[in-house]
Amino acid sequence: MKETELTFWRASVYGSLGLVCFLGLWELAIRFHLIDPFFLPPPSQIFTRAIRMTTGPDAVLLSDIKISASRVLAGFSLSVLAGVPFGLVMGVSSVVRATLNPIISIIRPLPALSWIPLSMLWLGIDEQQKYAIVFMGCFASILVYTTDATMRVDPVLRRAARNLGASDFQVLRYVILPGALPDLLSGLKVVLAIAWTCVISAEMVGANSGLGFRIWTAKEWSDTGQVLVGMISISVTVLILDIAFRGIERLLLPWQRKASGT
Amino acid sequence: MALIQLDNVTKVFSSRKGDVEAVCGFSLSIRNGEVVTLVGASGCGKTTVLNMVAGFIAPTSGKVLLEGEPVLRVEPRCGMIFQSYALFPWLTVRENVEFGPKVKGISRKIRKKLSRNYIEMVGLTEFADSYPGELSGGMRQRVALCRALANKPDILLCDEPFAALDAMTRQVMQQELLNIVSRSGQTVFFITHSIDEALILSDRVVVMSARPGQVKAVYDIELSRPRKIDVQLTDEYLKIKRKIWDLVEEEVKASMISSG
Ligand SMILES: Nc1ncnc2c1ncn2[C@@H]1O[C@H](COP(=O)(O)OP(=O)(O)OP(=O)(O)O)[C@@H](O)[C@H]1O
Ligand SMILES: [Mg+2]
Repeated sequence: MKETELTFWRASVYGSLGLVCFLGLWELAIRFHLIDPFFLPPPSQIFTRAIRMTTGPDAVLLSDIKISASRVLAGFSLSVLAGVPFGLVMGVSSVVRATLNPIISIIRPLPALSWIPLSMLWLGIDEQQKYAIVFMGCFASILVYTTDATMRVDPVLRRAARNLGASDFQVLRYVILPGALPDLLSGLKVVLAIAWTCVISAEMVGANSGLGFRIWTAKEWSDTGQVLVGMISISVTVLILDIAFRGIERLLLPWQRKASGT
Repeated sequence: MALIQLDNVTKVFSSRKGDVEAVCGFSLSIRNGEVVTLVGASGCGKTTVLNMVAGFIAPTSGKVLLEGEPVLRVEPRCGMIFQSYALFPWLTVRENVEFGPKVKGISRKIRKKLSRNYIEMVGLTEFADSYPGELSGGMRQRVALCRALANKPDILLCDEPFAALDAMTRQVMQQELLNIVSRSGQTVFFITHSIDEALILSDRVVVMSARPGQVKAVYDIELSRPRKIDVQLTDEYLKIKRKIWDLVEEEVKASMISSG
């Protein structure tokens, strides 16, 4: 039988159905005392909890989301601004590449979490420390993704540009950068996820605001409901950012949307 | 003075497996307004010769001169048309054609006029805002031709530009190139595997020997212009085709024996 692609609407219907069944079974499992609500509150309770956390007198959820997301975006932007130009230069110059490769090979395998102690010693637990964690977690990956993307640009296109009179800088600006952009953006999408991991972990270890902090405090109070609300908030925020990212991608790569192949 | 002069040019590629002498003692000069084609067995060094003229690679010994000056780096006066089109996929047809003028700093207004004229000349006006990925192979090669011409090169270098096209499209492209040449007197240095293509296009056909490539023979083609496809039925055409064919065949055999 031939596997056919579902239309967007049909796929959405199946998807919603799956979600509803999942939530229904979860709810029922608790109503019928198969699971203790202390361990896992039912969706209805999580929902009312989320409402309370967003609208009640001590509503912190939205500001937590805003704080965490802005930490992610600030740290991520910082590492993009530093990593992409550096990566481009590494991609075009084998000398720079050879010089920096050993350093990067040492830094890159370090999980972002392993930077937490040092960064706390250096910077305490303020905002800068959060940005630093994201930066340390993302910079080397961005560098590597950018370098790879740059090196995959078809050399014949560089030749063509130089043949048309482009200077070294013009080749970089008008050929290598746009040529590397598709691969670069898919790399950055992966790095954005890493940035989230960094922020949430940093907030769990040392912070007094943000989603990671909120989840960790709730755990101290054995407040399963709040833990789950926090987790779901992360997931929804990441999904929204991902959609935004995809929009940017479509905007920056109009030629890929229209054309298939080269 | 010759526009292009290759003087006893040799190119040796060194690799881990040892040295490959691709071109050895190659001499040729091309005058302004001439159409010269280079034919020869696969691997005999044709692309290498063209790349040295364009300045993509430097000769190991000998001289490559453009208007009497040695070619030392990539030379924008030698416009190249690549077999693989080499269009920028992220630029529209118009932007591709305007690339050369743009990096030279020519104003937007003049660029626009330039690209409109060239795009119209090859009949792609309605595709001016399409991306290369939306075009057929023949259309892409026409864009590549436009892009090279819009940069006003002194000489047009073509490395088997029509080899990937089907026979019909190929003929159309050959006629198009002939029209451009007859209108503008563009100098062309053209590589091809096809003797028919060489005979239709050129003032001179240069036959290369098997590797290491040298000039084996040069034929002046005196078939009258404009040349239409039916020139291929004349006795004169068949006679010269036979001569070149015999020579090329010899070299193809030689290259097959030498490479085992
Ligand atoms: N960059 C390179 N490094 C090493 N050897 C090379 C390089 N470029 C070409 N060669 C060798 O030089 C010889 C000539 O190559 P070239 O591409 O000029 O041949 P060609 O006549 O254009 O062949 P074709 O008709 O198949 O395109 C070949 O034997 C090839 O293996
Ligand atoms: Mg070749």
